[in-house]
Amino acid sequence: MRAMIIDDSRAMRSILRRIVAGLDFETSEAEHGQAALDQLRAGVVPDVCLVDWNMPVMDGYTFITEVRANPAWRDITLMMVTTEGEQRQIVRALAAGAHEYVIKPFTPDAIVDKLSLLGLVPA
Amino acid sequence: MTVVVSAGVPETEDVLAITEDVWTALLGDDATLVPRDVPPRSSFDADAWSAATTISGGWQGVVTIELGEAAARRLTTRMLALAADGEATDSDVADAVGELVNMVGGNVKGLLPGPSTLSLPAVAAGRAAFSRDTVLACRVDLAWQDGPVRVSVHVPQEGPR
Repeated sequence: MRAMIIDDSRAMRSILRRIVAGLDFETSEAEHGQAALDQLRAGVVPDVCLVDWNMPVMDGYTFITEVRANPAWRDITLMMVTTEGEQRQIVRALAAGAHEYVIKPFTPDAIVDKLSLLGLVPA
Repeated sequence: MTVVVSAGVPETEDVLAITEDVWTALLGDDATLVPRDVPPRSSFDADAWSAATTISGGWQGVVTIELGEAAARRLTTRMLALAADGEATDSDVADAVGELVNMVGGNVKGLLPGPSTLSLPAVAAGRAAFSRDTVLACRVDLAWQDGPVRVSVHVPQEGPR
């Protein structure tokens, strides 16, 4: 399995990388949505993207809408990992194509549980 | 964590609960934050790191975090999983402290009338990362591993909208 971690914080990318690497995921990273899209277009296509919402250049919501607009990327699972906890925004992200939503701060178990629910790691 | 907001300003105990949740998620067993008695109008340590994020929309205000230099570097070392003797750069610390205020600010925003948006964090070393042209709404002063930590919520002079 491959995971792409999309967050403007190196510290948060490091935390998420350690969690998913512990599940034997290969990881790639991007500091905003545009950089992530560039990687997808270059052929770095993961099984799952962990996506922050508030980022410079391109936010996570825009990234999700861009991914969902491209049929070639329909198999990518999208999981928001963000401080954005307003119900309205959660509904908006899920409607745009996010499969799961995790609100920061999170425990490692919360990430593992969500990945399990998505069928990406053994339950 | 159960938190209730009244009168459009977060309660101090709610901000404390959010801060403790963030510390616990990041640090696990080393997360113990100890209350610190500080006179109401005292300024923070001169060599501190400071970060701020602005909430705009249904509610208007600024959430800030200030950390002593040593505490900021230790926290960064943990967040980046650097070796115990590894040295976090200033850029690393700015990134980590920015993410801290992002997490605390985002959760404070969740308590307040919306819809609203959260700005990207501003971070500074040795000075405040936020305008003093605001009114303090609530503040928690803590110590983590003997280093000072302050989380504050500020509102515009005319009060929260």
